[in-house]
Amino acid sequence: MKIRSDILRVYQSLHTWVGISAGLLLFIGFFAGALTMFKQPLDHWVSPPTPSPTMASAQHIDSLALQALAQHPAARKGFTMHLGNHDNNAAIMSWTAGRPGRELDFSAKQWTATLDETGILQAKEELPSILAQMIDMLHRTGGIPGEIGDEYLGGYLMGVAGILYFLALISGVILLLPTMVKDFFALRPGKNRKRFWLDAHNIIGITSLPYHIVISVTVIVFAFHDQFYDSLAEVVYKNQPMFGAPPAAAVKPYEARDMLPLTSILNKVKAEAGDSTISEIQFFGLESLRPRARVALVNPRYLVQGPEAGYLTLHPYTGAVINASMLPGKESTWSAIVGPFFSLHFGSYGGDMMRWVYFAFGLSGAFLFYSGNLLWLEKRRKVQRPNQALPVQTLSTRLMAAGTVGVCLGTVAGVCFTLVAGKLFAATAKNINFVYLFVYYSVFLGALAWAYLRGAARSSVDLLWLCVIAALSIPCSSAFMALQTTSNTNITGLGVELVAIAMALAFIYAARKTDKRIKDEAKDSVWSLQTSA
Amino acid sequence: MENNASKKTPIRADWWTKTISGLVLGFTLALAIAGLFAWTGPGGIAAPQKVQFVMWLITPVWMLILSLIYLVRNGVRALTGLLIANALAYALLFLVKT
Repeated sequence: MKIRSDILRVYQSLHTWVGISAGLLLFIGFFAGALTMFKQPLDHWVSPPTPSPTMASAQHIDSLALQALAQHPAARKGFTMHLGNHDNNAAIMSWTAGRPGRELDFSAKQWTATLDETGILQAKEELPSILAQMIDMLHRTGGIPGEIGDEYLGGYLMGVAGILYFLALISGVILLLPTMVKDFFALRPGKNRKRFWLDAHNIIGITSLPYHIVISVTVIVFAFHDQFYDSLAEVVYKNQPMFGAPPAAAVKPYEARDMLPLTSILNKVKAEAGDSTISEIQFFGLESLRPRARVALVNPRYLVQGPEAGYLTLHPYTGAVINASMLPGKESTWSAIVGPFFSLHFGSYGGDMMRWVYFAFGLSGAFLFYSGNLLWLEKRRKVQRPNQALPVQTLSTRLMAAGTVGVCLGTVAGVCFTLVAGKLFAATAKNINFVYLFVYYSVFLGALAWAYLRGAARSSVDLLWLCVIAALSIPCSSAFMALQTTSNTNITGLGVELVAIAMALAFIYAARKTDKRIKDEAKDSVWSLQTSA
Repeated sequence: MENNASKKTPIRADWWTKTISGLVLGFTLALAIAGLFAWTGPGGIAAPQKVQFVMWLITPVWMLILSLIYLVRNGVRALTGLLIANALAYALLFLVKT
């Protein structure tokens, strides 16, 4: 396909600049996002779930809810009943004393309650490790602190990055169109290293293009949906109700003791939900005028709206269905159209196989930005002409090279060390969540500072070895903790350790290659020892 | 854009005019198009849960306008073109609302 050269020039500049502005933030988003595909295994790896007493008859959850609501007034505001527990069948009930909000609260205490063998309520208040939510937050904000209004500043910046990312995708495709047939799937190793990186960049970009378009559009919507809804209300809907009428309010507040027994709510849900599995029920405003019970339903056969589940909302006192529009497989027409947008971002379909596919996609996305940055640097390289003095590489290339190395490797090492800190201290630290924050930001900022102090070439080798150590310390900390505790805790498989070892091997390979390169590289490269002062 | 006249004069980048027009006027145009779909699309304005789809419609339309605006020959053309498109879209939206 032929495209005029002036169009190509414009889109080449566009591609370069949007890519370079958004690349690093998107790298963090993709790397952390790949990890969120496995946040439950990671959470279990850090703090193995304590085997709770098993009092697992069909009726035990009725007794659990009754006892907890009677003894703990705080639970009457709202609580969650977790059902889909892998390690045991006993339900766990949890609630927080404070106000539940959208934001992360690093020191929020949480109550959990179960029944022991004799059917007596065992409730305890503890400070839960919110590692999974924090990785999710890193994914959504890039770890950028600060808030605007009710939302995170980083979330908006990620939305802006999403816009730049969309522009990068379209311009990248336009650039590739003329040579598509020739270049497609051509991976040319050999002398011209830039060609090799460009081929790799193109293959990954084109083969996962639909995924990337979905991700960029959803990122923009997730970041700005409040503004979009407000604009629609202002310009389009005006006096029309946007979300339908709210459920009718009761005349006087309900009282928690009149609530339907959980077993009958569950039966009601099973009748509505078909073959979906109930994973948890969350009760909101139990003693208010508009109480709701939101049931999370897991069904890998359908594309659902939540990160993991579809939902059914019921009235906890009458059992009437309030909202069935997000029920897996039974959504209303419009919800059924919108649902896939969510699940295509979250990868919440197709079960574990799709989780691995999304994990790979996420890492490939991270590679796309990393290789894009490398291409930018290579293109700006000032070439040494024969018999002339060594040119000084521009400040911008040196800064960008150091930033790329520092941010990318710093994020990887930071996350690994945070996991290790969780493994070692989750049981003993006063507030493990602050330990996570401290470890992640010190490693990340330390790596970034190191990259700028030592220059891209030297620091890339140092930081790659840091990543090796970080990745290897994951299985080491497992082994250490396994030796510490004599009790035979339930081993949830070695998945985390194996992935960490694979990562460590990849980093060893990269570190050795890079070490060789910075010594042999032509002196005019930004990756050469001679130029990185 | 592929007509004969444009072949003679190459496209001018005009980064600022095109980008800002695409961001601002592209968004308002996408909003109006989503609004037109809300009123005249299947089910009409009151269809339950339709608002979610309408909201999702904004982003792809907006992004397509923004990413293709650089094909327009120069910044002034992009700006005026989008202004006219906006005027038309909002006039239509006003008509279908009343």
